[in-house]
Amino acid sequence: MLTTVLVRRLLFSIPTILGVATLAFILGHLSPGDPAIAAMGLDLEGYSTVEPGELERVREELGLNKPVVVQYVQWLGKAIQGDFGTSYVSSSEVADLVFAALPTTMLLLIMTMSSATVIGIALGIISAVNQGKTGDYIARMIAIIGVSTPTFWFAIILILMFAFVFPIFPVTGSIDEHGFIAMVLPTAAIALHPAALIARMMRSSMLEVLSHDMVRTATAKGLSRWRVFMVHALRNAINPVITVIGFQFANLMGGAVAVEFIFSLPGLGSLLIEGIYEKDILVIQGAVLVIGVAFALSNLLVDVLYMMVDPRIRV
Amino acid sequence: MSDVREMPKGGWVLFKESFKRFLSFKLNRMSLGLTVFLLSLALAAPWLAPFPYDQVNPSLGLTAPSWDHLMGTDNAGRDILSRVLIGAQTSLSIGIITVVFGLIIGVFIGALSGYVGGMVDEVIMRIVEVFMSIPGIVMALALVSVLGPSPPFIILALSIRRITQFSRVARGAVLSVKTQDYVTACHAIGMSNMRIVFGHVLPNCIGPIIVLATVLLGNVILTESTLSFLGMGIQEPTPSWGTMIAQGNEFLTFAPWLSIFPGAFLFLTMIAFNLLGDGLRDHLDPRGGSVV
Repeated sequence: MLTTVLVRRLLFSIPTILGVATLAFILGHLSPGDPAIAAMGLDLEGYSTVEPGELERVREELGLNKPVVVQYVQWLGKAIQGDFGTSYVSSSEVADLVFAALPTTMLLLIMTMSSATVIGIALGIISAVNQGKTGDYIARMIAIIGVSTPTFWFAIILILMFAFVFPIFPVTGSIDEHGFIAMVLPTAAIALHPAALIARMMRSSMLEVLSHDMVRTATAKGLSRWRVFMVHALRNAINPVITVIGFQFANLMGGAVAVEFIFSLPGLGSLLIEGIYEKDILVIQGAVLVIGVAFALSNLLVDVLYMMVDPRIRV
Repeated sequence: MSDVREMPKGGWVLFKESFKRFLSFKLNRMSLGLTVFLLSLALAAPWLAPFPYDQVNPSLGLTAPSWDHLMGTDNAGRDILSRVLIGAQTSLSIGIITVVFGLIIGVFIGALSGYVGGMVDEVIMRIVEVFMSIPGIVMALALVSVLGPSPPFIILALSIRRITQFSRVARGAVLSVKTQDYVTACHAIGMSNMRIVFGHVLPNCIGPIIVLATVLLGNVILTESTLSFLGMGIQEPTPSWGTMIAQGNEFLTFAPWLSIFPGAFLFLTMIAFNLLGDGLRDHLDPRGGSVV
């Protein structure tokens, strides 16, 4: 039963993934300049120096003189096999670059997501349980500040605080250079915003559940406050929170782009920005494609998780 | 609806009443006040700025905040306060234009999609989903890098995601009112579909759309700042908070005021729009959850 739903859901994400691929392809075609010129390592000024025959030969080689639809199908066919072309700028395989950058970003996102979830849920519960008291007030203040703090600015403030004023963490660099500690500040920088969002969702969801009769019943049974909140109320309040967590991927990836750049972490975000600075359209295309597909897959994961937590949805 | 005999109220009347209720809360008045304050700062920036924003004065490079330069100066000796004020103008105007542009197109697409339904709806929503799969900043970065970082393209790049967000909300709102009796009544008296959607259905969906516009305004300003921070947004010499924070980043250890003040203003703006959006949501869109 679960498998049927899973397969159907998997099929549903195919159009989205195809759409993302199409978008990435269009992006490449929007870029001004002649890819053949770029492939020959020349800029626009170099245009006049090229022999026409030579240009034709490169176009032929890259398949640029074929109709757009044919180019699209060929590009898609290659992309599905994990071939995103060879970068015009660095002449390395784009797929290699992308898949080398992927682990760093994934680790960063997983660390961010787990810390944001733990902190957010805790903060939300504290808030809901102490509704109207000081604890609630402080937790909500933290949440609204967290939601409003620009990630890239927060990253800079963190660097200023914990790398210069109190030099505890390294300013920049990858795990290879500094070990796990290199990920602490970037994680904190990205996690603030989702943690605050989760806290807000958790609070309102928990407050709603706490007003239900079953909470009163549980209390009347003589259960401890802790058991009522953490077992009975939390289980019922967690679903909307999971949805919010699931929808955080795009948000997190957005934060990761700037934060990876600031901390010089060699992830997808840094790759994308370098691609943009170097006007390396294939790298931009590859990064956008992988980010979009990752998003579609993460949505799938959220749905599966949702089904496991809430058996009612399986039907 | 606790009382069945109560007359159902139309869009604008309901909206005005909700807004009055909104204003009766202190936090809401504060956030509205802060928003109005920031907007007027931006509007009056050319008169408020103590120095021309591009007045270079190398002898004053990187001076700490003082009475002459309340927020200090940058490496070229330009007054940070003046640049922050003009930056407010840049950020807010780009934000407002983007949101209005996204609103008009997004609401049109969403309303159409929801009202017509069927195949049209299916196709439009699939496309929207594709655009939602790519994080706003990634999309904007990729588009600006391809089109070039001039204000019209920045606005275009920023608004694509807003169009999809507005169309989703407008669609949902239209779907929820489409089956109500008054729509059937409109059909019965022979009104055109266009007139029903834009004259009767949409005005009843004004709440969620206004809430979304407020939240997205903060969001767009943040994305624009991030773009500018990464060098792909507003270009020198026009000041933008993002660019200023990026420039300050180079002098962070010995002249932190370069980054801190524009960042603080960006933070204040975000607080204002987030609080305002929260308050409006409670009163105008009681069903709505978090959209961003």
